[in-house]
Amino acid sequence: MRIYASGLRKLLRRPATWVTLGLLCGLMVLIFVAVGASANRIESTNGGAAIKELLTFPGAYDRLLEFLLGLGGLFAVIYAASVAGSEWNWGMLKAAVARGESRTAYAWLSFAAVATLIALGLLVAFAIGVVAAVIGANLAGISTSGIGDAATIGQFPYEFARGWLGIIEEGALGFTIATLARSQLAGIGAGIGLYFAESFARIFLSSVVKFLPFDAATALVGGGTSGISVGGGGAGASVETLDPGTALVVVIAWLVVALIVVSLFTERAEISG
Amino acid sequence: MAVTAPADGLALATRGLRKSYGSRLALDGLDLTVPTGIVYGFLGPNGAGKTTTMRLLAGLIHPDGGTIQLLGSPFGRRDRHRLFDVGALIESPSFYPFLSGRQNLRELAATGAPVPIRRVDELLELVGLNGRDDDKVSGYSLGMKQRLGIAAALLSDPKLLLLDEPANGLDPAGIVAMRDMLRNLASTGKTVFVSSHLLGEVQQMVDMVGIIAAGRLVKEGTIDSLLAGEGLVRARVMPDQVPAAVEALSTLVERARIDTPADEPGWLVVQIAADRAADVSRTLATASIYVAGLESGNDLESLFLALTRTARTDGGEGSIGSRAAAPKTGPNWPAGGAPR
Repeated sequence: MRIYASGLRKLLRRPATWVTLGLLCGLMVLIFVAVGASANRIESTNGGAAIKELLTFPGAYDRLLEFLLGLGGLFAVIYAASVAGSEWNWGMLKAAVARGESRTAYAWLSFAAVATLIALGLLVAFAIGVVAAVIGANLAGISTSGIGDAATIGQFPYEFARGWLGIIEEGALGFTIATLARSQLAGIGAGIGLYFAESFARIFLSSVVKFLPFDAATALVGGGTSGISVGGGGAGASVETLDPGTALVVVIAWLVVALIVVSLFTERAEISG
Repeated sequence: MAVTAPADGLALATRGLRKSYGSRLALDGLDLTVPTGIVYGFLGPNGAGKTTTMRLLAGLIHPDGGTIQLLGSPFGRRDRHRLFDVGALIESPSFYPFLSGRQNLRELAATGAPVPIRRVDELLELVGLNGRDDDKVSGYSLGMKQRLGIAAALLSDPKLLLLDEPANGLDPAGIVAMRDMLRNLASTGKTVFVSSHLLGEVQQMVDMVGIIAAGRLVKEGTIDSLLAGEGLVRARVMPDQVPAAVEALSTLVERARIDTPADEPGWLVVQIAADRAADVSRTLATASIYVAGLESGNDLESLFLALTRTARTDGGEGSIGSRAAAPKTGPNWPAGGAPR
């Protein structure tokens, strides 16, 4: 518990935490406000309907979550990889092990802190996104009367729980890669590479790729409600996906495998530097 | 904290410790014996296996063979709790650059043995970092990071302290303060195991020395006994008398202990106790060879160089040549004339 609390304190003081959250929120605000501001100019074109859908509540909630959980997955890979890699780069795992700390406990509790911060980050980003969507809707002259739709709001805990699970599975992948590479940069690079490689492979090998981590995470959320997408893909792509129940099992399996690999590697690693 | 000596009186012992990195043998049956309550200097050329030994003792890497005993108990893969009583500073100190010195110590204290929070304040004061303790570590100088590293090693008030080159980056005042601190720790019954390249500093600080070369212990003992038994005497004769001088001195010491540095014509370097310089002079005089200069010394540096001069260390820089083995100057080397 001491390591978990310490992990949270460290992450809250870590510039990467705020940069990641700032980027996610900034992009979201930029898109919603920009779309709202330019809505009147393109209202008459084919995109007019899509813009209206994007900014009209309660549908805006789904678009917001889709964006948040989709881009959030990529950011989770990068963030978790940077946290795990820095433990090796800065020699902090070395310091903890030399103090008699359990290698596995240290790695797993560090990841638990990352997972907690991801949950908090999602909530904060969602709140900021709602504000941005309201501003966008007002700029576009679209009514926000659906913002209090009870049925949609009632689904939030369920959607968040599944979205968070999908995202931390993706984060665990970044965490594992950075641990194996013992490097922040290598972990981030390889994590991003896998993310996009899976997105491309999905086009040709969707029957296999649907079981891979990013696609399974997408199916976990997308199938659960209204087409929300986590990971590299977007909603509406005509590819094979897992049903939500199977996706849940696959995502949990990937998460467990990732953490076991982290444990095995960390326990056996020869620590230097 | 009251320090309890282990039953056998040893804070640290290794027997037949072996470690390889691929095909490179780093430790080849290392036997160390470190009694409780002393400062032990662990010396060796670069690549000799010092840091590998430190990493093994801190549980960072695992041995290929041999045993380690920490504070009287065996230390293996499943004995990490032994490290609760051990503090370590291995290679460069490790910190989060975005945290302050105080925050780093606090977060480090969340690992391993529980540490009272006031201990952080005590240690910051002990290492002279109060006043800069709330600055981010990224802004610290090398010496400040080293001080913080020493504070981190002391966090859990360890009975055994493992310090790898602790004087790195410290200014002269910092080195003196560190020396006093380590001596004080030893006087309270704690054991300090310290590796260093600053041989003069080690000589002033330690009670006992272990010298390692090519992964093996080549000498171990109290500093007094080692220095009493080892030394160098340098004698200068006419260059054309050198072969005869070597012949004459062979009656005093083994031929292998007499060196004639090619770059110093007329000089003979004899590995013999420093207080036997008169014997060297007398032996040469008996052979009608009269010395024009005589120097002697028995500092740790000359002992170290004599013991490690022929050691070959794979992948390291530890091969020390004969020129370096016979320093002409140093704190204990008079400029010439009468032996001390």
